[in-house]
Amino acid sequence: MMPQPSPPIVEFHDVTVAYGGRPVLWNVDLAIEQACLFGVIGPNGAGKSTLLKAALGLVPVVGGYVRFFGTSLSRVRGRVGYVPQRETVDWDFPVNVMDVVLMGTYGRLGWLARPGRRERALALECLDRVGLADVATRQIGRLSGGQQQRVFLARALAQQADVYLFDEPLAGVDARSQERIFGVLAALRDAGRLVIVVHHDLRMAVAWFDRVALLDMRLVAAGPTQEVLTPEHLRRAYAGRVELLDELGRAVAERGRTA
Amino acid sequence: MTASFAGVPCLAVAFPATGLAYNTLVVLVAVATVGCAGGVVGTLALLRKRPLLGDAAAHATLVGAAAIVLLTGRRDLPTLLTGAAASSFAALCLLALIRRCTRTRDDAATAILIGVSFGAGVSVVTWMMARGLPGSGTIEQLLLGHAAAVTARDATLLAAVALATVLVVAATLKETVAVAFDAAFAAAGGWPVGLIDNAVTALVVLMVVVGLPTAGGVLVSALLVIPPVAARQWTERVGPLLVLAGLVGLASAVLGVLASIAWPGLPTGPAVVLSAALICLVSILGAPGRGLVARRWRERELVRRWAAGRLTEEGLALERGLHEPWGLAAGPSITVPESRRP
Repeated sequence: MMPQPSPPIVEFHDVTVAYGGRPVLWNVDLAIEQACLFGVIGPNGAGKSTLLKAALGLVPVVGGYVRFFGTSLSRVRGRVGYVPQRETVDWDFPVNVMDVVLMGTYGRLGWLARPGRRERALALECLDRVGLADVATRQIGRLSGGQQQRVFLARALAQQADVYLFDEPLAGVDARSQERIFGVLAALRDAGRLVIVVHHDLRMAVAWFDRVALLDMRLVAAGPTQEVLTPEHLRRAYAGRVELLDELGRAVAERGRTA
Repeated sequence: MTASFAGVPCLAVAFPATGLAYNTLVVLVAVATVGCAGGVVGTLALLRKRPLLGDAAAHATLVGAAAIVLLTGRRDLPTLLTGAAASSFAALCLLALIRRCTRTRDDAATAILIGVSFGAGVSVVTWMMARGLPGSGTIEQLLLGHAAAVTARDATLLAAVALATVLVVAATLKETVAVAFDAAFAAAGGWPVGLIDNAVTALVVLMVVVGLPTAGGVLVSALLVIPPVAARQWTERVGPLLVLAGLVGLASAVLGVLASIAWPGLPTGPAVVLSAALICLVSILGAPGRGLVARRWRERELVRRWAAGRLTEEGLALERGLHEPWGLAAGPSITVPESRRP
């Protein structure tokens, strides 16, 4: 008897996604086998967010499939956490920080059950991890952009998932919040979670992610960061944007020296 | 059967001193329960950013009420309201379909639906009148509302439906608020967003239909929008918002009924809507925190303090800390940037 190899945590198989008859992602084949900080990198309109949404079943796929832990998402919802882009919600909504973080526990609670003392304790702990415990009762509109993003992060932590999908968690976020958010992501990785992050900034990608997927409507390359972010791959993904490439070449070389 | 209507006579006995006639009391109970539940359900629609849902539902009731009179020949209120609810829900399902399947903007689709369904309703009623068919007069009463025609039996029915609606809202609040705040997150977590949206739609239809006999098809949707907007000025939490919206709806109903008694020419439905508008106006102007006056005053205060050289970030941050427990402190206009905090 051969021992069964454990299935990849996330597997995209030949995924093609279209909006209104126009494909925005072509034949993406990608398997992530182990817990790590995984960056999804690419130019604007490369389909990075769409990749996450396809994985979560939020947009219909034309063809192909996505599996989590070797099975369909509907069977392992509780193990998959999601952090949408910050601009997708109305921050004038009449809820406070604690209310939003508690929403992370709803999946576990199921229909009609209300969050109780245990959920509140968990939510407060999650807020503490992102450094927002002192604003738990504040209306969410009265936070800075970075704080709002950290509220979303705390809500995801309250989901207590094994895989996290982050859509641009560092966009429009001040330096201090960026550091804090990245610290929490790294801690999740160290605790054995898979953290998938859509990110637009190549320089940070080099410094932060263990592995990356380079995307430009098709998967250009995927694997360990330094093997993927080569001048040739980048030229294919960012055709014509040379000044950016030079900058990146320097960043990669720097990391090579320090590593 | 009579036992279930006992509540209204009991009230009449309990308040002989108010000097209100029994009929007035019946109207008051009907309008007040509708106003209260309307405010609660309207809050859900407003939180979901679909304030016109009630308007669309209301305009689509006419065609259903007319159709059911034509089909069954019956003209009693429950029959009329059943027909109204059916066409109204069908119209909103159509709206959901348009939203999902076409690239028409949501508000444009709603506007189209309001016009078309109302046009269809008016056509059917006019055709009935031209033919001299019975029932068109009763249907026209639904259009403008005729609170005085509400019987004790009707009032009990309306109150029961309104109460049941409020209970359903309270029981499913967690789900509806999660979808209203962040539908993508809820969907990713496995919640059936479409189903929950349809449930809210059904509640809106129910409230509109229940409100028809008193406020009428044209005005009932206002009772779903104005109270929540008024209530929103006073609170930053969903729970208090629902309670306040219900109370504003209730207060508007009582004020409206009393006003229509005081000025016999004033019909009840419009009086209720105008009372709600008055409360809304007072709230938008005078509420602490979000209110126009309070915000202007804070801005002026900042200018004064700047001129006096007493405007410091540390001072503002400290004040905000002091005011935090009441949640009514300054808005985002004087948020201290995080990077510059000590």
